[in-house]
Amino acid sequence: MQKPLVETRSLLLDRPFHLESGDSISPLTIAYEIYGEDPGTEKQVILIEHALSGSAHAAFYHEGETKPGWWDDMIGPGKAFDTEHYRVICTNVIGGCNGSTGPSSINPVTGKPFALSFPPITIRDMTEAQRALLAQLGIDRIRCIVGGSMGGMQALQFFSDYPDQFDSFICIASTMRHSAQQIAFNEVGRRAIMADPRWNGGNYYGDIPPEGGLSVARMIGHITYISEHMMQEKFGRIRKDKDLRAIFRPSFEVEHYLDYQGVSFVRRFDANSYLYITSAIDNFDLVTSISGMGRFRGESRARGTRLTTLETKKGLVISFTSDWLYPSEQSRAIVRFFSGLNVGVSYAEITTEHGHDAFLTDHEQQTHLIRSFLESLEHAQ
Amino acid sequence: MDSPVNRISRHTYSLIEDWIEPGSRVLDLGCGDGALLDRLIERKKVEGIGVEISQSMIVRCLGRGISVYQADIDRGLSQWDDMTFDYVILNDTIQVISRPHEVMNEMLRVGRYAIISVSNFGYIGNRIRIFLEGRMNTAIRTTGAWHDTPVIRFVSLSEFKTSLREINITLVDAWYYVAHSSIHSRRSFLSNLLADQGLFKLKREE
Repeated sequence: MQKPLVETRSLLLDRPFHLESGDSISPLTIAYEIYGEDPGTEKQVILIEHALSGSAHAAFYHEGETKPGWWDDMIGPGKAFDTEHYRVICTNVIGGCNGSTGPSSINPVTGKPFALSFPPITIRDMTEAQRALLAQLGIDRIRCIVGGSMGGMQALQFFSDYPDQFDSFICIASTMRHSAQQIAFNEVGRRAIMADPRWNGGNYYGDIPPEGGLSVARMIGHITYISEHMMQEKFGRIRKDKDLRAIFRPSFEVEHYLDYQGVSFVRRFDANSYLYITSAIDNFDLVTSISGMGRFRGESRARGTRLTTLETKKGLVISFTSDWLYPSEQSRAIVRFFSGLNVGVSYAEITTEHGHDAFLTDHEQQTHLIRSFLESLEHAQ
Repeated sequence: MDSPVNRISRHTYSLIEDWIEPGSRVLDLGCGDGALLDRLIERKKVEGIGVEISQSMIVRCLGRGISVYQADIDRGLSQWDDMTFDYVILNDTIQVISRPHEVMNEMLRVGRYAIISVSNFGYIGNRIRIFLEGRMNTAIRTTGAWHDTPVIRFVSLSEFKTSLREINITLVDAWYYVAHSSIHSRRSFLSNLLADQGLFKLKREE
């Protein structure tokens, strides 16, 4: 079969884009990809939200590349998000480094990269940027917004801020707010970057970036993304050499694995983006954000009250048994919260040994659940 | 196809349906493929949620558009606040539960009424089977062999009702019936012998 191709496109917003911090970015570039575009046919839209290190390239192939997008197992003809039936859109978050404006972008005022002069961003800023893109594309109704991990946070935020625009959400391996442990892991990653002398207060563009620090941050991340069981199964105590003097280089298989993950990450990710995005994740608190803004009528007032707009909405929350970074209890809390707002929320806990990464790897069970969920939305029409 | 299982379900479903007030909130424990909830949503306009442990059943519920929550009922219903529901249903499920009294207490914490169907171990047909064969057979156990069946609780209607007092639960209403037939009665006289099913509407003792 011929590989389906896709190109990353970008939209330039030339009016100032206002952030929650009070700052604004002008101009703002938003990178996005669209799958299943069928000119002349009316298709419902699915909006895909990526996680910390993701990009707009969720599926299909870029010209001349051998690896498809990060969720290609889930998006395409006959897959969970069937491009025969849906127009599927994924955008790169602002603050990122894969096409959308972020700290590595050129500040038009100075002609140099923003670095740390880039304003702090929030999960809501990410979704507001997508809203601006959707407006440009003339899309005002979304069949389903879906994401895993940080993508799940964006899905919950966007859905809660504008429930009238969405028929449903799917939130996978995520949370309404980070726990102390989750913040702690992110902080260690940030400190590793900032402790690297090459970080240089964020001013490393045009020079060697803080590769050591960023790769350590990624290594810590990877430890939390997989389960202890899986790590033991995969690597155990296997080692390539038994030279006891080899304490200054990777020897155990697990060390090689982490080293590889770290090294390949620094090639494609910007250290400052890592700082900005992990901070956005740590600061995310759905309940506070939607009650504080008064946009969503707040949890306290909403609980037990019938909100007619939400009664017709559907949600699907998925967690994984071995995910210790985003444990199932956090997903159950999401179900409790949205059930309290009378959204018709369902919950599935997939049994797997693959840990947090299961949202990227365990596509078969997710596909069954998601296809059934989306089909029922068609019947509800 | 009108399988025996469908006939049993239909009989039980129609009795349950008669007890449910239109527009009420219903939690169905062990909801399977969601057939009962589907019927209650359609005919009684209830707001329904199912609880189910099997992922393949969850997929079928989702396909029907029913809200479903994957969980093991034996681990409690801590997901729901007190008195969230008008009715909590346990249909064709009590026989697989390890801690029935804890589950019943939880049902009456999160809901005003509990509706529980019980397959009657004391039914005359079962007594004859055991007398003749000297063993439990699949008609009584419904599925599997003694070592691998999920069906672990065998209770007669009379014993079930007696034990309600121990946990301060009041019987509000009951049907005694023969599942395969259309015969049902509210009279408990000889029900422990002649009915193979009981359906109980329960509430917390005041």
